[in-house]
Amino acid sequence: MLIIVLRRLLQAVMVLLFVALISFLIFRYVGNPVESLLGQEATVAQRAALEEALGLKDPIYEQYANFVLRALQFDFGNSYRGALPVAELIALRLPATLELAMTSAIFAVIFGVITGIYTAINRGGFIANLILSTSLVGVSLPTFLIGVLLIWVFSVELNWLPSFGRGEVVELGWWTTGFLTASGVKSLILPSITLGLYQMTLIMRLTRAEMLEVLRQDYIRLAVALGQSKRQVYFFHALPNILIPVITITGLQLGSVIAFAIITETVFQWPGVGLLFINAVYFVDIPVMSAYLLLVGFAFVVINLVVDLLYLLIDPRLRDGQLKRGAD
Amino acid sequence: MSGNREMVAPLLEISRLSVVLDKRHQRFKAVDDLSFRVFPGEILGLVGESGAGKSMTGSAILGLIEPPLSISSGEITFDGVRIDQDASSIRGSKISMIFQDPLVSLNPLRKIGDQLVEVIRTHINISKAEAFGRAKTLLAEVGIDPGRINAYPHTFSGGMRQRVVIALALAPEPALIIADEPTTALDVSVQAQILDLLKRLCRERGTSIILITHDMGVIAETTDRVAVLYAGRLAEIGKTSAVLKNPRHPYTKGLVAATPRIDANSFEKRLFQIPGAMPDLENIPKGCAFHPRCDFASTQCQKQQPPLFEDRSACWLSNEGSETS
Amino acid sequence: MHRFLQSDFFYSFRNAPVAVASFFVFAVIILAAVFANFIAPNNPFDPASLNLMNGFTPPLQSNEFTGDVFLLGADDQGRDLFSTILYGLRISLFVGIMAVMLAMVMGVVLGLIAGYLGGWLDTFIMRFADIQMTFPSILVAMLIYGVAKGVLPPDLRYEMSIAVLIISIGLSEWVPFARTVRGSTLVEKEKEYITAAKMIGLRKSQIMSRHILPNVLGPVLVIATITFALAIIAEATLSFLGVGVPTTKPSLGTLIRIGQDFLFSGEWWILLFPALTLLALALSINLFGDWLRDTLNPKLK
Repeated sequence: MLIIVLRRLLQAVMVLLFVALISFLIFRYVGNPVESLLGQEATVAQRAALEEALGLKDPIYEQYANFVLRALQFDFGNSYRGALPVAELIALRLPATLELAMTSAIFAVIFGVITGIYTAINRGGFIANLILSTSLVGVSLPTFLIGVLLIWVFSVELNWLPSFGRGEVVELGWWTTGFLTASGVKSLILPSITLGLYQMTLIMRLTRAEMLEVLRQDYIRLAVALGQSKRQVYFFHALPNILIPVITITGLQLGSVIAFAIITETVFQWPGVGLLFINAVYFVDIPVMSAYLLLVGFAFVVINLVVDLLYLLIDPRLRDGQLKRGAD
Repeated sequence: MSGNREMVAPLLEISRLSVVLDKRHQRFKAVDDLSFRVFPGEILGLVGESGAGKSMTGSAILGLIEPPLSISSGEITFDGVRIDQDASSIRGSKISMIFQDPLVSLNPLRKIGDQLVEVIRTHINISKAEAFGRAKTLLAEVGIDPGRINAYPHTFSGGMRQRVVIALALAPEPALIIADEPTTALDVSVQAQILDLLKRLCRERGTSIILITHDMGVIAETTDRVAVLYAGRLAEIGKTSAVLKNPRHPYTKGLVAATPRIDANSFEKRLFQIPGAMPDLENIPKGCAFHPRCDFASTQCQKQQPPLFEDRSACWLSNEGSETS
Repeated sequence: MHRFLQSDFFYSFRNAPVAVASFFVFAVIILAAVFANFIAPNNPFDPASLNLMNGFTPPLQSNEFTGDVFLLGADDQGRDLFSTILYGLRISLFVGIMAVMLAMVMGVVLGLIAGYLGGWLDTFIMRFADIQMTFPSILVAMLIYGVAKGVLPPDLRYEMSIAVLIISIGLSEWVPFARTVRGSTLVEKEKEYITAAKMIGLRKSQIMSRHILPNVLGPVLVIATITFALAIIAEATLSFLGVGVPTTKPSLGTLIRIGQDFLFSGEWWILLFPALTLLALALSINLFGDWLRDTLNPKLK
């Protein structure tokens, strides 16, 4: 089993290095650091000097290696807009995005699994069908539209919840949290729902499909035939078997939550890294874009790795190397 | 029928059981007016082609059939108690079941010990530790090393897994086990072992078995009595030795003749096949279901469904008492 | 045509009310977009026809300054909302179709190459596809957009907006095509008619294009429908975020953003009508696509 873990880790590192390569290429060749730092009026001599200083004349692999080394020390260069270090900008706004992502993920998983199991067990029931029909709409609606409509209903018309910003935040060392204030929590609600709705519908449909599939299996029939109660059947037998695919998809979706945060943050003017990124795209702020790519890539790889390892924990069949069929 | 059978009360009595399939406002009979009994301590075989209704009967006994299938009429009585409407009192406790495919009968994510303990404690009120002990004993009895009680199903071969399933079926100490094609999915060499094991364990405990199969060889080897099903109806029923040596129903004759044999006489002969095929649910002929394929069919056979004559064979010809060779 | 009407496909279509309804809605929207210049009262993209004084006129009310009446009201620039929605739809559909075609061509070609030629080429393409697939396509699109904009000199950025948009969305969606085609190619290349073609001496490119390609195109249609829906949503999202179509040629996404800005001041129509249109478009495509996928799925037959 250790070999499997090591292999996965190695794969993860390879992918990360590849993503770093792309990030580096963007950073180095698309952007024009010299011009943006010196402006268009600089002389040839000044440019040459800066190029030398920035190491732009070194061989590519050296530049790449430096790039990676600097990245590991959280040095991503400076933003074209305002010349602040990118790392600082990101650090400032990361808590906002992470809190939003976490809240929406919890929302999506809890409601998704519960409704999924409910609609599977009560197949054909009125409420179950109602939930399923509404979910179809949830999947079709683009995220930003959901956000805007939620704002319309709950902020403009009902005036229950704020329509932008994080509300009051409390500083805890390097982190800023919105969980500790009333306005902070209220501000989290609409964005979390917006961000989480798509995930929730996905998880619900998946849980439902898995539950229905598992309930059709022979070992479930046997358990019923041997007199086990519904509770035993659902929790002792069915639940562990649906956990695997649900965890995988949830884990993989977590990654895209971070990406879809861009849209949600824009709708609600939420001061997170997503908003930072979209502004960078708008203003062609290359260092921020390349740093964001690296950051998101890292997040995805880590999440995939964790999901893989969790898999190994839950399904004993995988620990022996591969899914083996019993020899007859 | 031998006289002393009548003295002992049947353990399970199926009386005019009909199971129907509701399809687009039409009803088709998967099991039609079926009646038979199972006595304590006996092994009754239920034989027939695929689709003859044998598995359906097994599921019906335990109340496992679901819409669009349902029991439309008849009674199932166990130990004097009716269970056709509500089988929960006997399910798993007095009657248990073994399925065909051992590769999917066990929960892949639970250790076999846990699955055994779960079944034991559902029906017998003992502590976890005691249940564990019983589980180990059971495993030993079915020929599995009790030290493997914490192993997962995928680490066992098909034959071994079926042994675990047998242990599961025996765990609640039932009076009757319904074994639905328990060896069909196994290698031939393993089949005999499993059947022997099942037979021996049940004889020791006095547990009855309804053995559902399509294999006449299995019937011959393992059962005391046999019931032959055709198109959801009972064709013939009786002591296995009698039915196999002197089949009265033309279908049974065909089945017996079609069973491949390895003896000096049969090497030269071609394999016998009953011409035609068993009709599916929606196309059961009027009268006797077998008449289109029967060499001896008369006009009566085409018009009227024959009842069971002499508790033995559902054939108009047996009424006439004539020898059908 | 007659044969089509008699086919199983059309039969199951006729009997699925959801499919018929969604197709109908979708068809209406497409037709409205295609014939926009006939239906629309005026051309909102022509700056000369706009009158700023018309701004914020509510639907079906006469503007106090100019007396103009707008069916669905006017936006902040004085554009007739109805016309703008129609012309905006045009752009969205154009971008959607072009993006799908780009993704399809790229995906099919790469899939064929990877499947047929195999070896390190296959590994490289597929690993790259895997890595790209770990990122949501909208993010990839944004990234490509940003990079493309960065590569272009500033003066060209505005003019090339739509082209860049098409390229970004297209390049973010090629992988499903490639994977399916590769899979089918792997199967087809073992078949006898391919061996025969090789023996005749056809070049690899000929074999791939003339023999394998027609046989692997089946599932491509289904993927294309799904991708089309995704492309439309992607365009709307990117335009909403401000990194899509230029602001002087607003699409549904842009209008919704403008509408959001003016929600609090009460000009609800600027948000509502574009939102409803997008909703209708997205739902109809998704429902029809779902039905199409289910019907064409050989596994369910």
